[in-house]
Amino acid sequence: MADEQSWVDWVKENTDPRAAHTKPEALDDITVLDLSCKSFAGCYCSSLLAEFGANVIRIEPPEGDFIRTCTPYGMLYKGEGLNYLTEGRNKFHITLNLKEQEGREILKGLVSQADVLIETFRPGVMDEWGIGYEQLKEINPGLIFASITANGQFGPLSQSRMPDYDNIAQAKSGIQSATGEVMPEGKCYDECPWAVPTKAGSWIGWAQPATFMAVGIMAALHWRVINGEGQALDVATNEAYARFDNDGALWYEGAGVVLERFGSLIPGGWLYCFAPTMDGAVFLGGLRLEMWQAFADMIGKWDEWDAGSWKDLSYFTRKENQLAWAPVIFAETRKYTNQELVNMSIEYGKKGRLAPITPVVAPVCSPMETMKDENWLKRGVLVPVKDPVFGEVMVAQAQHKMTETPIRTKWVCRPVGYDNGHIYLKYFGFGPSKLKELKGDGLI
Amino acid sequence: MAEKTWKNYRDKKHFKPLPLKDIRVLEVGTLILGPVGPGFAALMGAEVIKCEIPPLGDTARNMTPFGYMFRGAFPPTFTHINVNKYWLGLDLHKPEGQKVFLELAAKSDVIQTNLRPGVMEKWNAGYFHIKEINPRIIYISKTGFGEWGPYAAENRPSNDGAAQGLCGYAWMSSFSGQPPLKSGVYPCDDYGGLMGEMAILAALHHRDRTGRGQFIDLAQTENIMRLMSWIWPYQHITGNTAMPSGNRDVSICPADSFYCKDCGLVAIAAPAPEEFKGLCTAMGRPELAEDPRFKDHLTRLKEENATEILKIIADWSRTKSAGEIEELAEKHGFAASRVKTAKDVVEDKHSRERGFVAEIDDPLLGRYHDYGFPVMMSKTPPRVNWGVRPVGFDNEYVLTHLLGKTEDEIKGLYECRAIGKWADLPGRKPPSDWDGRSGIIMARDGDGEGKE
Repeated sequence: MADEQSWVDWVKENTDPRAAHTKPEALDDITVLDLSCKSFAGCYCSSLLAEFGANVIRIEPPEGDFIRTCTPYGMLYKGEGLNYLTEGRNKFHITLNLKEQEGREILKGLVSQADVLIETFRPGVMDEWGIGYEQLKEINPGLIFASITANGQFGPLSQSRMPDYDNIAQAKSGIQSATGEVMPEGKCYDECPWAVPTKAGSWIGWAQPATFMAVGIMAALHWRVINGEGQALDVATNEAYARFDNDGALWYEGAGVVLERFGSLIPGGWLYCFAPTMDGAVFLGGLRLEMWQAFADMIGKWDEWDAGSWKDLSYFTRKENQLAWAPVIFAETRKYTNQELVNMSIEYGKKGRLAPITPVVAPVCSPMETMKDENWLKRGVLVPVKDPVFGEVMVAQAQHKMTETPIRTKWVCRPVGYDNGHIYLKYFGFGPSKLKELKGDGLI
Repeated sequence: MAEKTWKNYRDKKHFKPLPLKDIRVLEVGTLILGPVGPGFAALMGAEVIKCEIPPLGDTARNMTPFGYMFRGAFPPTFTHINVNKYWLGLDLHKPEGQKVFLELAAKSDVIQTNLRPGVMEKWNAGYFHIKEINPRIIYISKTGFGEWGPYAAENRPSNDGAAQGLCGYAWMSSFSGQPPLKSGVYPCDDYGGLMGEMAILAALHHRDRTGRGQFIDLAQTENIMRLMSWIWPYQHITGNTAMPSGNRDVSICPADSFYCKDCGLVAIAAPAPEEFKGLCTAMGRPELAEDPRFKDHLTRLKEENATEILKIIADWSRTKSAGEIEELAEKHGFAASRVKTAKDVVEDKHSRERGFVAEIDDPLLGRYHDYGFPVMMSKTPPRVNWGVRPVGFDNEYVLTHLLGKTEDEIKGLYECRAIGKWADLPGRKPPSDWDGRSGIIMARDGDGEGKE
């Protein structure tokens, strides 16, 4: 590949989501049963597999899963909660009453025809029902049985009665306590109730453990290719999220220091903060001495701050110096708009004294600004899906751009039991009269 | 039954195989986004060779919280995300270094980089160069904005904080009326890295079936957007900007962090009917569960009702300690936890018994605890075996064992500076108490001294 532009063109041509449907799907040989209950983690996990083409059968109780009611401000769109609307993607939705023995027998029939099972019941529930891993592996030794719960399948707290929710996982991870505004001196909680440990606004305490589990499932599938055997997988949501606390364990282990919240600065590096501007805020990033110097130069402070004499970042990284320097640079960034600072950084990367080195400058956007940013539209990430049931629905998608097996969103969601007819016919030969019977018995 | 599946899981870990033991990964990555994914693969048994430009190596060797180095040698984040790797000091600016890279690439399954678009191509190590000699290669490039599109065309640099800002994640993670708040960790780097592994393992599955490799263009900002769920359809349907709500979860009610008697926060969640009933009983207000404003979850979520019930809970939580609330939650079947610190997590008995908080016995760093891989796999348990190393620490092992180079050839590579070792700087060099031998896999005469 001789020149850079032809490389970029080649990648675009071969990873553009608009052409994804012309290519094969990586997981279209895999059948997944998603039994998740009251858990977005389970739904998100099976979505990741479904995006890659896995044949995912989502199994809900006859009245539908409670998670469908977890929607902002109680808002429904065409009868569906907005969170569930985004994670029903590419899945077949059936109902099955697992509280009845006959329902569990039907599940066993599906298990014998599946590769992966995802469940989020309290540990022990599936065993009591006679459909735990030890029981199901007798039916299908290749089965990968994946459980996502609050505390995991084993260990002293595994029998806790507490259910699993995103905000609880975030609180238990150590990351919420490391995030948030610092209480202004002399103030208390009632005066500044926002200066507290703060969780992430999105359900990362569910989506991230779900992604770890999807990665674990993929590794288990690879192992099954080598060895032929299935296995049980276990994720505790708070542990999974804690894995992202990169400094926390070792700072405490080595120095007894507890990582505490530090506003929009970060203990681990300099230059790395949100800075106020004339019309909002930008992120400023360096982490290399030259990038911090480039920032000083870019805003015209090279001489005044004697940036050329700086030798390394260790001085600036110290807590007292971060606190001293932050207001100094904020006074400068307030003189400009977000767009001006972004442009200054791009220009500096072309013509600055230290070019091509330039500081990272990015606007801090509202999600509405993000949704209107043409970069994500062009890359096919934030574009509406035309769903046969729900019409045009905006979801984030196409994040895995791959030349051979790109992901795709074929539909976004399905009402409860929408695919009973097709799936029960396909796997059991149950036609309309049998389905009517099952319905009458409260099984579907 | 689960007991049988998981009996002695932690203690028997090392007596079982690893799921990715047949996979070799070459990493040319810096900071977090590049190295964290190969780190996950290494925990699952992949042989990961981390290539760094000598003598300074990975920029993350600088990233010290307030200047702190773990064991006086390496930054905590760097140490956490780079376990189980082999360390090659390889200068890809040099043609001889590029040649070594191609020799390794010919024998590898996966290449991971997070350099700016075009850099690997300039070093004759881009996807097309590798594909020619190894068509089975799975090659992933992880950047802020991807290889193509308007931002990529402007050659904008990026990192975790930029991604947090650009996708609206930070905006949504603050309190109403306060400026957007940056996370105390690096969620977009870590999540981008994790999603990269998802793509790679899917690609590997495709290769297991068809023999075909591929190229993956991963933009970290797009991956964090993926988990922002309701925000996108909400804005699209209503035309309104999604607004932040602090610790309150606007999709689950009640779910918030509450101030309690001992002046800390406790997170509570109790949305499902039996959970909400349990909470009302615990508060001594069982009648609330039947109140028409709160009885049904969708009704309870409406702004005016949610505000009301959250206020009732907040008033109650102030009369109880976090510990009392946790006990009541256990008794009545709703969820509650104090907002825990890293100390609480590291010392947590449950996670230690599960082996998530793992004990590591490292030849350079000594004995210590750190978080391991959070997916427990009954037949193929991921594990932490060793910590991080100085730049170029495993040069001899990699070049001899994998490439069969002779001592003279290796000497030649040192002489032309295609390979090298660490600079005499913190974060790059061995711990000060290193004996000059420990941890070296394949020693040669004169080893144990920095070469630069």
